[in-house]
Amino acid sequence: MPIGNLDVPVIGKNVVIAVLVQSHILFAAFIIGAVLIAATSEYLGMVTKQNNYERFARNLARFVVLLFASGAALAITFVLALVTLFPVFFSILQNIFFWVFLVEAFMFLGQIIIVYAWYNVWDKLAYRKSLHVVFGFVAGFFGLMAMTMIDAVASFMLTPAEVESQADLVARSFLNQTMVPLNMHRFIGNFSYAGFLIAGWGAWRYLRTTREEEREYYDWMGHFGLIWGFGFLIMQPVIGYGYLKGIRESAPEGFNVIMLGDKSWVFNLLVIWIAIMTIASTAYFVHKLRFTVKPMETLRKLAVGALGFTALFTVLNIIPNDLDLIPQIGLVFLQGEGTEVPLGSMYPWKYIGLIGLMIVGFFVIALYLRATATGFHWGRASRWSQYALMACAVTVVLTMVTMGYTRETARRVDNDPGFLIYECVTLDQKIVGKNCPAHPITEGASE
Amino acid sequence: MIELALLLQAGTTGNPNAIGVFRFFVGVFLVFTIYSSFLGFTYWISKDE
Repeated sequence: MPIGNLDVPVIGKNVVIAVLVQSHILFAAFIIGAVLIAATSEYLGMVTKQNNYERFARNLARFVVLLFASGAALAITFVLALVTLFPVFFSILQNIFFWVFLVEAFMFLGQIIIVYAWYNVWDKLAYRKSLHVVFGFVAGFFGLMAMTMIDAVASFMLTPAEVESQADLVARSFLNQTMVPLNMHRFIGNFSYAGFLIAGWGAWRYLRTTREEEREYYDWMGHFGLIWGFGFLIMQPVIGYGYLKGIRESAPEGFNVIMLGDKSWVFNLLVIWIAIMTIASTAYFVHKLRFTVKPMETLRKLAVGALGFTALFTVLNIIPNDLDLIPQIGLVFLQGEGTEVPLGSMYPWKYIGLIGLMIVGFFVIALYLRATATGFHWGRASRWSQYALMACAVTVVLTMVTMGYTRETARRVDNDPGFLIYECVTLDQKIVGKNCPAHPITEGASE
Repeated sequence: MIELALLLQAGTTGNPNAIGVFRFFVGVFLVFTIYSSFLGFTYWISKDE
């Protein structure tokens, strides 16, 4: 019986998959990051005896337990949609990654069991706190392993390895060129994403509450979330560079599309998001340094200088190479490609911008952590500092969506044809490419 | 409009058109709707505990 080519009315089947995966990943990344942040917070509470850590960890664990259903439901719906709408492609993936998918399913199961157990035995293990903290970290580990398995599949779709033997099929497909950088990129990204969202949530609650005790707690939560968000964000440029280098070497046409071609505007969009997050975070740090328990005017002045450099380096990143901005919608000025913008070239200006941003980022967070060690007067933050945190939270979601779109659209190249697996399976689920790992299944699929 | 459709490459087989643009924005709208409503619902069921 031939496999039918089902489509979805009005929005089409590609949009269905994109919507389900993008929505799912916004929950899944938060859950992985939040579980590890909550477990770390619980550990810090155990060590420092400060109540804020324990209260925060427990509330976040409860929220994660409740949020798990949404993330899981979207994942199941996505798999159902993929099986139905892209049956040949799904069969190919299952043939190559059967064991990987199986391990992922069990890691997912392990994560559910341990996360629920972790939250449920919170009081029961109150006097065996070390053991309870381990529960949290084990749950985070299972989540990371599930992510690692699916990263092997996602990276393979963009940079499939050439396969000539059965051994190649397993080892080279799993450890393809971009698997490790993608996994690192997402590992770091989970913390940053969850941290910014926590900071934004703390800011929102801070502005809404009128009780002094609550204001102090939510002020602290915004600060704690931002340390995670910004601290991990500033590692991303170097890891992202490694990831792009892998794409350039293994999928050069895909690289050209997103870095130099029709879709290079998505990277301009990305640096705008990064600019908002870094400037807002640094401004928050500068503001917060006014409320240290022990006055630290020198640190604050240094942080003001860092804010200036942050703004300078982000501007360097945003300046376009030429005035051929988005030619498809007519955003071309003067002679377009022929009009180069001063300070806009990748080498050396963008490199200076990215490296400078990282160095200043490490510098300012070191200053801030130094001040954190002496303590802050909580509950005195201004409204504007909380708006900065909320801006970071909104922007980090936009960053996630933009980056997801970028990676997946790189495989479309020029759409002639676009690929589901780069140079291997087309969007129409036709198998091409002589070294395509899916080759043995070709005869079976066409019968 | 065709140029914008090409930019978004939202067609299924490299034939983007106005429908592709429409689908792109419907997709973006759905992502944010699902995300915010699921988050909001989770907050709502957790806040009174």
